[in-house]
Amino acid sequence: MREPFGGLILSTAFRILVPFTIVYGVYVLCLGEFSPGGGFQAGALLSVGVLLSRMILGDKAKFNISGKTSVVLAGVGTFLYTFTGWLTLFGGGNFLDYNFMPIQMEPAHEMHAMAIFLIEIGVTTCVMMTIINLMDSIIKRGDDDGSVK
Amino acid sequence: MQIYTIEAILLIFLILITCAVIFCKDILSAVVIYSSFSFCAVLLYLMMGAPDVAFTEAVIGTVSTVVFVASLKKIDRWCK
Repeated sequence: MREPFGGLILSTAFRILVPFTIVYGVYVLCLGEFSPGGGFQAGALLSVGVLLSRMILGDKAKFNISGKTSVVLAGVGTFLYTFTGWLTLFGGGNFLDYNFMPIQMEPAHEMHAMAIFLIEIGVTTCVMMTIINLMDSIIKRGDDDGSVK
Repeated sequence: MQIYTIEAILLIFLILITCAVIFCKDILSAVVIYSSFSFCAVLLYLMMGAPDVAFTEAVIGTVSTVVFVASLKKIDRWCK
């Protein structure tokens, strides 16, 4: 991107906002089964954290995920979702049938929560990287010489 | 009865905000007014008993505002 948004107020507020946003995203992901929230919201929150740092600091941002990496990681998130379904298939049940997970835990709802948590990690990764990739295609299209980085 | 009054006020706000977004000449201010549309929708969803949808609407309203502002900066129509 040609020039970041910058400014004294933005760069000071950003230092306080972004860590809280990312920690809140992880909190929403972990408590998705018991409270409102879940994979999609957590992914959107995490992507807001990354995007703000990129838009305010530009290319100097430490926590920067490039466009190609984000495409690959979105695929990895989708694979995590599917892999959890395959685990139950290998255990002898249907696709995403949580009673047949290969790791047996004593209370049944404990195992259900673990399987749902695995799925939500996959959804979070996919949503976060897709939003980052969308913003990357908007911001980076056409630099000074009209070329795409 | 009071809860219906508040819901009616919020619905009227939604209509007014939509008209303001349509008839606004400056694009940047239209984007900012649209984010307030998202906020009123969040309050409405909370009152109708759907906190999950309200949470999604809040997050997506923020993300879409960021996307709109970034693309406005990209196409050099910053302010009129």
